[in-house]
Amino acid sequence: MKKDVIIRFVGSAGDGLVSIGILFSKILKKHNFNILGFRSYQSVIRGGYNTYQIRVCNNKVLSVGEEADIIFLLNKNVAELHKPTEGSKAMVIYDNDSFDLEDLDYPEDIKKLPIPLASITKEISKLRILKNIVGFGAISQILGLDETLIKEVIFEQFGSKGEEVIFTNNEALEKGIKYAEEHNWPELWEKHKYEKAQQMLISGNEALALGMLSAGLKFYSGYPMTPATSIVHYLTKHLPKLGIIVKQTEDEIAAIGMAVGASYCGARAATGTSGGGFSLMTEIIGMAGIEEIPLVVISSQRAGPSTGMATKTEQADLFQAYGASQGEFPKVIIAPYDVEDAFNVGIEALEIAEKYQVVVIVLMDLYLSESNSTVRKLDLRRKNKRFEILDNPPEDFRRYQFSENGISPRTIPGTKNGMFFTGSSERNEAGTSLASTLAGLPDTLPIRVKMVEKRMKKLDTLVKELENPQLEGTENAEITIVSWGSTINIVREAVLHLKEEGITANHLHLKYLNPFHEEVVTKILQKAKTTLCVEQNYTGQLRDYIRMKTGVNIEHKLLRWDGEPIVTSQIVAKVKEVVKNE
Amino acid sequence: MNKEFNLTIKDYESGFFPTWCPGCGNFSQWRAIRQALVELEIPKEEVVLVSGIGCSSHMPNFLDVYGLQTVHGRGIPVATGIRLANPELTVLVYAGDGDIYGIGGNHFLHSCRRNVDIITIVSNNFVYGLTTGQASATTPVGTFTRTTPRGSIENPLNPSTIAISAGATFVARAFSGDLKHLAYVLKEAIDHRGFAYVDVFSPCITFNKNQTFDYFRERVYKLEETEHDKEDYFSALDLSNQRFVKDKLPIGIFYQIEHKTTYEERDFSLNQGIIPAHAPLDLTEEQIETITAEFY
Repeated sequence: MKKDVIIRFVGSAGDGLVSIGILFSKILKKHNFNILGFRSYQSVIRGGYNTYQIRVCNNKVLSVGEEADIIFLLNKNVAELHKPTEGSKAMVIYDNDSFDLEDLDYPEDIKKLPIPLASITKEISKLRILKNIVGFGAISQILGLDETLIKEVIFEQFGSKGEEVIFTNNEALEKGIKYAEEHNWPELWEKHKYEKAQQMLISGNEALALGMLSAGLKFYSGYPMTPATSIVHYLTKHLPKLGIIVKQTEDEIAAIGMAVGASYCGARAATGTSGGGFSLMTEIIGMAGIEEIPLVVISSQRAGPSTGMATKTEQADLFQAYGASQGEFPKVIIAPYDVEDAFNVGIEALEIAEKYQVVVIVLMDLYLSESNSTVRKLDLRRKNKRFEILDNPPEDFRRYQFSENGISPRTIPGTKNGMFFTGSSERNEAGTSLASTLAGLPDTLPIRVKMVEKRMKKLDTLVKELENPQLEGTENAEITIVSWGSTINIVREAVLHLKEEGITANHLHLKYLNPFHEEVVTKILQKAKTTLCVEQNYTGQLRDYIRMKTGVNIEHKLLRWDGEPIVTSQIVAKVKEVVKNE
Repeated sequence: MNKEFNLTIKDYESGFFPTWCPGCGNFSQWRAIRQALVELEIPKEEVVLVSGIGCSSHMPNFLDVYGLQTVHGRGIPVATGIRLANPELTVLVYAGDGDIYGIGGNHFLHSCRRNVDIITIVSNNFVYGLTTGQASATTPVGTFTRTTPRGSIENPLNPSTIAISAGATFVARAFSGDLKHLAYVLKEAIDHRGFAYVDVFSPCITFNKNQTFDYFRERVYKLEETEHDKEDYFSALDLSNQRFVKDKLPIGIFYQIEHKTTYEERDFSLNQGIIPAHAPLDLTEEQIETITAEFY
């Protein structure tokens, strides 16, 4: 039987929505379900209207979904703010000791499920937080979950806090289950035995961090900024065990400066931020570019401009990344598309940076950074190798020696006879500055020309190494949908829905934005019957970018810039409209 | 004395003669840095000299060590990253007053409290030289420059006082016109365990007609010739502030304490003796288990 249910926890900042969401996700994961969880929140510490939505399926979860099937209201204020949609047939669970929904105008098909959480909890302990566990018990009865497996999660979560905590949590769970049973709550799924789960439950940012660690990350610096901060939080947690340096700095300029210093010294290094911090980093991005120092810069996009909507998602920083820093230098831009891909990109970014001695910008977005998803077990075991680092430089060592592919071997400080000068000014092969030391000498102009060519050549070599973009789906579809970043699976889900409705769509998703596979993309788009670009921004940045790179004009666009992730039904509706008018 | 160490001051020259104006205060610093490195017997490959932008920041061009010129004001964070990635290196920052006290002021402040074992030398000429003479953060009130043609109306910073109060463990001042003393101060700074900072009065002979060699010669006196106790915090603060109260300018070590632990000694990875730049890239099975446990 196909299982697909959406559970939404609704509360305010301070209600502990994230811990509730993650804990319930762990319970579902334990039952070998696939899940995707996403928090919608505001930039405040207390109050507001926040949700944590979990979609649980036995197939791969493609989006966090739209209408919730089960809603758990955590306080009176949100009960009033929450508007259940007519026709959604949602079940609304709430604590009728604290508030009632009698005076609220709910559609008829909404099923209200009151449960006296406060009085049930009071029988067990003074801890108010236990109310959530009682609620979990009741929801698990609806979903036919296995009590033993839930208790395993409780043990894993609270085991370190002692037996009494485990005992009271278990009791709360049992009372929740019992209450739902005795009051004949609906049972969506039958109870049955579940296989032991093997997959991981992890966020996009954590997966990216794991990828980087697996590829030998030794230095990470950052200044707190949503939605990139959780990378630092995760890396710091295991710091002594990993023996890496994680540095919170005075600003993003220092963050990128330190990462460049560490990388120059031979440590694989990265820094991370969001658009505002990225703005501060741009000058040093250019410096690393001309000095050919490997560097990974993560920028997780959120709704701008300026502070914009700090906790909301957007994909509006493509041109910021592409245009970061003055002048021309090779700059790699990769946009990971889902949680598992973020892991792969973590590895790939550090390797490309070191091999090509370039800046690699990893363009995440809030929806991907903060989505919690089940993924297959990620394999962190790797045999990493180093690229182009000389231990015994030859006598005539020139740090910026001209070469076929633009890459010159480097030395790192501490290496005998490997000393060289590098600076943010243009130089000759030995590193000597054309702008000061050799300024005005007649042969500096041709050297400048060749030095720019040398650096830019790296992208020509790299583009051949990167996997070509693939057209997913049937060749002669009625429409080709183009996307980038975290919307990939939402588009995939829309394509499936369209198929059920008899409309064929195929899908071109772009992960490598610079260097760009111009010929491949041009060919695919020229063959398309009609094209639609799906993006989380106002202007259609990818659409403009593709036109700039290929001359191909994508005919239609579906844009969303309210800060919430694009949903499947939007894409389906847009495609229907386009196909109808063709 | 290490018998194998046989390098001379000349050996630390890059072979390019400095592009500074003849008579510039930076020349004696070029010499003093090399002299201090030779006296401390630090091999060339173990030295990284990081600079910013400005006349003085051309320094790494003229030295045969690992030299890295950054963008304006960012030498300190880059040097910090270098040192944390490889604490076996001697890492120096060399830049001007515009660079460190102006655009890079934030990093200067935080490097003082952070106490990473790097050495910051500021060639302080009280003016922006490379951009042909504008007021800097240390330009005295009333000074005529190209951006203050009616006289500067901003109060200058007193960087040594700031460094002491921000927690630096070595704060000194030197004068380009006294090479012997300058080399002594730099040697002490490099040898210091923790963040060391030296402000060097270094006249700009082209764009500053006020803070000249003669101006300083008439005013400086050496702290080493007084009763000053360099571990006395309040006396150090008081002396470093004196240029605003008397027409006397102390040079030498204002403040030095060795009992404060360095950042490297406090860092949870570095204090295990790990050198991140050389540590193995592959995770061990045990590490993988630890860092992934929470996801299962």
